Amino acid sequence: MVQYGGDEVSALVVDIGSSSLRAGYAGDDTPKSIIPTTYGYHRAEGDEAMDVEGGDATQAPKRVKMYIGQNGPSMWRAGMETANPMVDGLIDDFAAIPPLIEHALVDVMRCTPSEHPILVTEPPWNTPANRERMAEIMFEEFQVPAFYIANTGVLNAFAAGKGTALVIDVGKSMASVTPVVDGFVLRKGLSYSPLPKLVQAHARHILVTPTPMRRGIELLPHQLIANKTPVDLNAPPRFTLREERLAGTTESWRQWAEAREVDEWIQSVAGVLEQGWNDQLAAQRPPKPYEFPTGYNTYFGGERLSVGEQFFYHPQALVASNPNLPKHLPALISDTLRSCDAELRQVLSSNVVVTGGGTLFAGFVDRLSAELTRSFPHAKIHAPGNPIERRYGGWLGGSILASLGTFHQLWISKEEWQEHGKAIVGQRCK
Amino acid sequence: MAASAADVRSILSLPEPSATPGPSQLKKQAAPSARKPEGISRELYSLIGPSAPSLAALTKPRLKQKPNLGGGAKIKWECRTFKNNARQDSLQLRHWVKATTEEETEYPFAKYNVQSNVFTYSQDEYTRFLEDKEWTKEETDYLFQLARDYDVRWYVMYDRYDFPGGVPRSIDDLKERYYSVCRKLVRNRPWAGDETSKAQLIQSYHFDKERELTRKKYIVSLENRTPEQIAEEEALFIEIKRLEQNERRFKREREELLRTIAGIESGLPDIVEDEGLMNLSIDTKKKNKRSSTIMDLDSPSTPAIPATPVVKRPQTAKNAAFDAANCIIRTDPPATVPVTKAAHQPAHLRSYKLPVPKAAVAPKITAALAELGISHTRLVMPTRDNIMALEALVEATTTLVETKRMVDKVEYDIRILKSRLGMRESQGAEGQPAATDAMDVDEGNDGGEVVGEDGRAQSVVSTRSRKPARRSMSISSVDTSGTATTRAGTKRQKRG
Repeated sequence: MVQYGGDEVSALVVDIGSSSLRAGYAGDDTPKSIIPTTYGYHRAEGDEAMDVEGGDATQAPKRVKMYIGQNGPSMWRAGMETANPMVDGLIDDFAAIPPLIEHALVDVMRCTPSEHPILVTEPPWNTPANRERMAEIMFEEFQVPAFYIANTGVLNAFAAGKGTALVIDVGKSMASVTPVVDGFVLRKGLSYSPLPKLVQAHARHILVTPTPMRRGIELLPHQLIANKTPVDLNAPPRFTLREERLAGTTESWRQWAEAREVDEWIQSVAGVLEQGWNDQLAAQRPPKPYEFPTGYNTYFGGERLSVGEQFFYHPQALVASNPNLPKHLPALISDTLRSCDAELRQVLSSNVVVTGGGTLFAGFVDRLSAELTRSFPHAKIHAPGNPIERRYGGWLGGSILASLGTFHQLWISKEEWQEHGKAIVGQRCK
Repeated sequence: MAASAADVRSILSLPEPSATPGPSQLKKQAAPSARKPEGISRELYSLIGPSAPSLAALTKPRLKQKPNLGGGAKIKWECRTFKNNARQDSLQLRHWVKATTEEETEYPFAKYNVQSNVFTYSQDEYTRFLEDKEWTKEETDYLFQLARDYDVRWYVMYDRYDFPGGVPRSIDDLKERYYSVCRKLVRNRPWAGDETSKAQLIQSYHFDKERELTRKKYIVSLENRTPEQIAEEEALFIEIKRLEQNERRFKREREELLRTIAGIESGLPDIVEDEGLMNLSIDTKKKNKRSSTIMDLDSPSTPAIPATPVVKRPQTAKNAAFDAANCIIRTDPPATVPVTKAAHQPAHLRSYKLPVPKAAVAPKITAALAELGISHTRLVMPTRDNIMALEALVEATTTLVETKRMVDKVEYDIRILKSRLGMRESQGAEGQPAATDAMDVDEGNDGGEVVGEDGRAQSVVSTRSRKPARRSMSISSVDTSGTATTRAGTKRQKRG
């Protein structure tokens, strides 16, 4: 027990991301509960009954009823709005956080939060106010005996077994490059941008814009389609809408559902060329078929490869027309390395950790390593092959950290919280 | 359906064994095997029987022990609260431990809570030693607090360094201030230990900012090389390696040449290894130093031209006087042999150093020496002088024998040529066909020579017989000095 440095105190690890919230026991290799961060809710209209049904909880005064979990936003409900508490990787709407965490811990994991120390993760660019608020939620609402907040950059490095690493994390809404030295994030070297959003917008643009080959594609979710009949390739779809649902469909839910359709398409069809853009090579790649919920199906050729290109290269015209264009990955990496000490550059570039669900994009790691070795010939990339490890690297690192015997002196106990107040969070969680 | 032994017997029409029935047979086998000592294989035991040596019983083969995974007995685990001594508060966490462990043991991980020992200083100390016009006390305090917080991890400290109202400082500024304060504190505080440990401690806080900056500049310049520059650098490196190799080969060849030519002609055994070429690869500083030492030791003219062999004369006058007084004679190690372990000569008796003649001429030399009544294989008193004398003698004898052989060969050649001349003359005079007469003339000439030239020519024909050989040697030994050139001359002629 002592040899391995592990000492499990049945701590819980909660990792909140833009797309999903992960929770589980420290020491496990996979989170026990993974729920979408996006939730559905009904606006307050008079005084509806607040009956708790299934995994739903009612907390916020504005939201009468929240629909959380696997059957939350993905289930169509008349008049249901969707919302996501995260903005640019940071928690923006703290009112929704306690119900989400409670759903994950109590309804899915069936455990009592007040009995377990809880480790929560935060993105490297988190604000002190945010982390203090999180501590407050944990101590005041969940009555946890001990709490700690750890940086996802550091945790991802730990999950890869490294104390010093350059963590490249591409999530659902943010892409970040974090230098970690001896288990500490170098804040001056941190760089991040909402790059995945640009990629999604680009994909959406490809799909809905009519081309000479095809009309614009209707991104209708299957929840709104009553029936459909198979059609030939590129033929106009034949389907009937659920007319009765259209009236009750809110704009926010519609957006969420369309974004999901785009994501599905990206995950199954989109890719990136390993060695940089080349029209000839792109034409050589086999086109991929895809069928939308409407029944419309077609092949996607070179355009599917242009989607991934957004991660690595932005044409001059695009940069000129859009001053707020998020920086692409090579720019983020070179920004980070330039702001680090010359001595550190070598160490960091030979310890690159690639993590986050966005990096599961087809061809992403190959292209990244090609881009990296162009400027850093000795760069070495660590990218877990296991998709669970890749997507939930932050949670996994937290699971490792919170099950270490030497870590237990770092917990902020309830006693300390009551004695020192919010200041203890910044002091302890450096 | 099982066939018994009786069935088999009846099928094969074998007689029923009356004396030894099946069960008893089994018993007989079981009885000795029960006494079989451990550690002897069954086959071996059946061969050697009960008279097994006790030694065999002792050497019981020890196989790898099965790991004890604690799978035997049930182990009871308990969920207990524990107190972590590394914590200041009274937080009690719960973990599972074996029920057999004691209740009040210290938390095993508490001992890893190591605090970094960063210096602290008082206001008085600060005003007396640590004043610096670049730094205020508040900022110094802040720096030291950061060092405590981050255990002197400089990169992290520099990253978090944000002193309100302070000037922007580089990581080297921080390091310089921190280490200078540490040095001053160590120097000025009362020191319990000895001076060396204090000096060591001060040395460990040494920080040279200028050097660090130049080092970092160098790293940056290394990083900023263009691919072309890197390629050029690599090409140059390979070129240097190639040149070095060439130099080494030249050196080796020249050495060989020196050993063969210089060793024989000058008779100087000590040829100093030429160091000039070796040093080409080493940096110039070292080279200069090296060559200057050679200048001091050797005659000043020698090291300038690396091709000339150098005689070592390392002895000073004082040493020489000492050696003479104590009858010490120093021999230089053979410099032609590379200085390796294999070339090292251990202590030895001088009788081992008796000269051995060349194998080809050894019997002749032995014979020649025996004629003088000397045995070259054994000396009554093998002192240094004696051995040198013997060496000279053997060498002279070798030369003698070889010269004699040369002379014989030349004379033989002369004879043949003479006979041909005579043959041609007789042809010209008589005008007869040469076929048969040439033989005759030859024979006649041969015979004439034998008769006229005494035993000298005879010895060529009958070298086997010892007596004439010896005689011929004694004759030819008169003009040894003259033969060397002729020998070389004839050899060249022959080859050409």
